[in-house]
Amino acid sequence: MRALHTAATGMMAQELNVQVISNNIANMRTTAYKRQRAEFQDLLYEHVRRIGTQTSDQGNTLPVGVDLGSGVKTVGTPRIMTQGTLSPTGKDFDIAIRGDGFFKIQKPDGTFTYTRDGSFDMDAQGRIVTAQGYVVQPGITIPSNASAVTINTQGQVSVSVPGTTTPQVLGQITLTRFINQAGLSPIGDNQYVETPASGTPTDGLPTIDGMGDLQQGNLEQANVEAVTEISDLIAAQRAYEMNAKVISATDQMLSSTSNMMR
Amino acid sequence: MENTLLVGLSRQVALARQLDVVANNVANLNTTGFKSDGSLFEEYIGPTARENGFRGADRNVRFVQDRGIWHDMSQGPMQQTGNPLDVAIEGEGFFTVQGPNGAERYTRNGSFQISATGQLVTGEGMPVVGEAGPIVFQQSDRNVMISKDGRVTVNEGGSVRTEGFRGKIRVVRFARPLDLIKEGASTFRAPAGLAAQPVATPNLQQATVEKSNVNGVMEMTRLIDITRTYTQIASLLQQQSDLRRNAIQQLADVPA
Repeated sequence: MRALHTAATGMMAQELNVQVISNNIANMRTTAYKRQRAEFQDLLYEHVRRIGTQTSDQGNTLPVGVDLGSGVKTVGTPRIMTQGTLSPTGKDFDIAIRGDGFFKIQKPDGTFTYTRDGSFDMDAQGRIVTAQGYVVQPGITIPSNASAVTINTQGQVSVSVPGTTTPQVLGQITLTRFINQAGLSPIGDNQYVETPASGTPTDGLPTIDGMGDLQQGNLEQANVEAVTEISDLIAAQRAYEMNAKVISATDQMLSSTSNMMR
Repeated sequence: MENTLLVGLSRQVALARQLDVVANNVANLNTTGFKSDGSLFEEYIGPTARENGFRGADRNVRFVQDRGIWHDMSQGPMQQTGNPLDVAIEGEGFFTVQGPNGAERYTRNGSFQISATGQLVTGEGMPVVGEAGPIVFQQSDRNVMISKDGRVTVNEGGSVRTEGFRGKIRVVRFARPLDLIKEGASTFRAPAGLAAQPVATPNLQQATVEKSNVNGVMEMTRLIDITRTYTQIASLLQQQSDLRRNAIQQLADVPA
């Protein structure tokens, strides 16, 4: 019976749904994590009696057909790229983006990754780096005698140097944006890489062209909402159970058929 | 004499089909924009073996056949997602998307994405059709807003806030929506002779998706109904078979 396989696709889909939800919940406190949602579509239909078929030479047609569906498939797990709330940390090198941009990070192999996790630090050479030690673009080096690092909303990094009264501007942090942010491919460590789906990156300065402004001393929280995830989890679990019931009902029907033979 | 078996069998085959429909509904409990299906049955009157023009005539044998499957086009519940590219239609209407072979398909699944070329597409990558062709975004666009009547506007690049118009989502309706054919991927196809008409005042909700309109309790009830009926018929056929076996044994039992 087809129902067995149909219900199996339903169970697999709900299993994946729970997997996505559990990953969201696990990353509730991950800086700048963007929640995912499992998106489903129905599978192909077998048209047993096609609607609109002529039933007589007088031009009568079938008003309803028999279309048997074959279950459900996962079409994707798009990321919801909405802004997370900012929470103040007071740390100089914690920067949150309020807008659509991403920080551009250079990996040791020379390739670029993109992140919204702005919990940066200073390395031994005075460069601004991520938690993994990768350099934030463009590489800004802070002199060892500098104090009071200030990063303004436009990304200008300025420091106070002993002996001068005016702060010294060291450079400007650039941001990158993509036309389809949801098309970025996550590689872990809160970082993303560009894909054909995301489109080519556009570099620019903060506050311009929708890049967003920078907030020093803040971090962007995950955009996961506990209530949404838990209610989705309940719905997924119930859907899973119902699919299991369909399988046991089909089994019961098959067994009553096979019991007829003695 | 075989009629009991055959009539019972016809019902069982129809029930198995109905179970397939229920299984498909349950599998799509969480599918965005899914419309549940229901089965229709009719009786098939078998030809009589003998003349039935006189009194005490043979009664016609009536079989069951499934005549059709109809789509329940009622509104599914709305779920807020917060994603600006999620759109749900409140009330009647369908989004128009361009299918794989260029033909128009219709869907209630408004969980859209932006493609690498900036087009508004479905999760499957089918372009969403606007009133004036596809809806294309510029690289620097931000804050996508979709109004109730389907106007897609953005804040254009530059530090100055200017509003840019990117197109109007086409929402269509059908005179007989039940005639639409499901084509998978949450889309419908219009059969020949059924033309899409524009909805005068569409009611779109941004950052919302329409969930599947499958009612879990209803489907479980149908499931129990199907299983019980099936089992009853199986035992009916069983009894019929027993009856016949007894008849053969007892009638053929020649007294010594």
